[in-house]
Amino acid sequence: MCENCGCTEEIQQNSIYLPEVATLKKKKPMTTVDTFFEFELKDRSLGHLPGQFAEVSIPGIGEAPISISSPPSEDERFQMVIRKVGSVTTAIHQLEVGDTVGIRGPFGTSVPMNNLKGKNLLFITGGLGLVPARSAILYALEHRDDYKDVTILFGCKDPGQRLFTDEIEEWKKRDDIVFHESVDRVEGHDWKGNVGVITTLLPKVSARINPLETYVIIVGPPVMYKYVIMGLHDLEFSDDHIIVSLERRMKCGVGKCGHCQMDNIYVCQDGPVFYYDDIKHLKEAI
Amino acid sequence: MEILKISKNDFKSFIGKKLEQNHSRTVGVVRRGPHFVFADLNSSDELCLDYDVTILPPRKYFQPPKEVLLKFVPKKADSYRAVNECDPITVIGIHYYDLAALYLMDRAFSEGERDEHYMKKRENSLLIGVYPTKHFKYRFARSVTKDQGRKVADMMLVHIGDDLVIEVLTKKGKEYLNGANTVRNDYSMKEIEDAKNIIKDDQKIPVPIELVPEYLARNHNHPVWNHFGEKCFSCGSCVLVCPTCYCFDVRDEVELNLAEGRRIRTWDGCMLEGFARVADGHNFRGKRGARLRHRIFRKGKTLPEKYGYFGCVGCGRCADSCTADIAGPVKILKYMEENK
Repeated sequence: MCENCGCTEEIQQNSIYLPEVATLKKKKPMTTVDTFFEFELKDRSLGHLPGQFAEVSIPGIGEAPISISSPPSEDERFQMVIRKVGSVTTAIHQLEVGDTVGIRGPFGTSVPMNNLKGKNLLFITGGLGLVPARSAILYALEHRDDYKDVTILFGCKDPGQRLFTDEIEEWKKRDDIVFHESVDRVEGHDWKGNVGVITTLLPKVSARINPLETYVIIVGPPVMYKYVIMGLHDLEFSDDHIIVSLERRMKCGVGKCGHCQMDNIYVCQDGPVFYYDDIKHLKEAI
Repeated sequence: MEILKISKNDFKSFIGKKLEQNHSRTVGVVRRGPHFVFADLNSSDELCLDYDVTILPPRKYFQPPKEVLLKFVPKKADSYRAVNECDPITVIGIHYYDLAALYLMDRAFSEGERDEHYMKKRENSLLIGVYPTKHFKYRFARSVTKDQGRKVADMMLVHIGDDLVIEVLTKKGKEYLNGANTVRNDYSMKEIEDAKNIIKDDQKIPVPIELVPEYLARNHNHPVWNHFGEKCFSCGSCVLVCPTCYCFDVRDEVELNLAEGRRIRTWDGCMLEGFARVADGHNFRGKRGARLRHRIFRKGKTLPEKYGYFGCVGCGRCADSCTADIAGPVKILKYMEENK
């Protein structure tokens, strides 16, 4: 290592790649591949805003960008729902309560909750998109008086993929929000609810939504955006009322590694949350 | 700026003395068969300041192909420790376009979130540039660089006959020359400028650089991307040899004893198939044409718009290294011009 310049302390202080330690406090399976995790940082709150993400790492396995699912809080604890899809997320699933992970972040832009005060909010979420959207949804519910109508639409592939089912039951019971959900297919499941892709839920809420007074927050898989935005255009939503969160491979989180670049934008810093109006001209965005 | 003069023989002896004194790690351009590379100098006789192009640019000393960012004990997150290898280094014989590339990298790693791993290596380096004296058939550097390379060089060498004119650009450069047998320069400014420009590039890009960002924006859907893209082997040679391709991957390695591990940064490139693939398998640039377009847009639009300088320095290495002969920006832009 570097013996001549005495940089050991300096790099320890200044490295943008050095994670902090967080301890796993709670772990609860949500689907066969998705698990809820609550982590606690040592002596600070994560200080995130709704829609941001953090890099979670396990030494020896690697690092992965993960959406933060809890609302902003001064508490040292924060929540994530992680799908087992690669080596890092699989290793995270094997952790036991009390085990530790590395955390860098929070990174990226957030849902501009302050700018949305006094407006109606329409959340349109697909699959794992509910995870980051939940941070904004719970924020809106904690500050319910700051917003007018709050509507949440959630769609997923089949009933077995539903997330936060306990909370969804609570949301359904509340009379100050409207919640609808749908599944793409039902084979093998006992399901009495809506069947069809997420856009089939739009007619259920279109009558009570004033596009001039409503902001839409869309979070879902890449394939979803085009169809949802087309549906919103049919309801005469303007593009500056549509907020999207885009997925990319955000490897470093600090705008250097190049993996998340789309057109001239680094999604890890300029995004992941954008006004659709600001990115619709980009060829690679959606 | 101080301008000095030294005979080529005296310069060689001076570097020889520096090597004997073990002043710092010293690397320079040396011959390897018919090619040239930047390598550690064992003696000043190896140093070759009269070369066409090196296989790899000197970027490898500041962003090594593989570098350790962190050390740790596997599975123990409280064991993460940041490390760096930034021992002082002197690099001799960098052409102006490779210096221009380092200028761009310095901007990229210092602006926004400052990357201390890179910046500390740069701070501890001394760069000795040289103006080229040999043709390289793919080079088009004159048409895409200005003088930005001089902003990072500590001195520039200019070949004139048996002499080297030394333009001393920094205090560090001045100090390095202590003990060198330099004399006052007596060449005229015209002689020096002529010597700097003695090599004319065989190629140039067909569009003025300041117009390229807009030109590319208009040609996002040009057939060139797929036409050239479908010949691409996605081998990544073009991005591997590029002096301004600083994109990287980060991954973990564990020792066989399972008691130590390290997080390493390795070179990566947008022309490789999986570069933009996300966890569920979706690839945002799965098509070769889309990757070729991204690479050219990054050099010709993204980086110029961000830093005010063209993102390609015209070294020609990509064109030279490309098996399918599709990588060179000159060739791509010419095809676009001919097929409007």
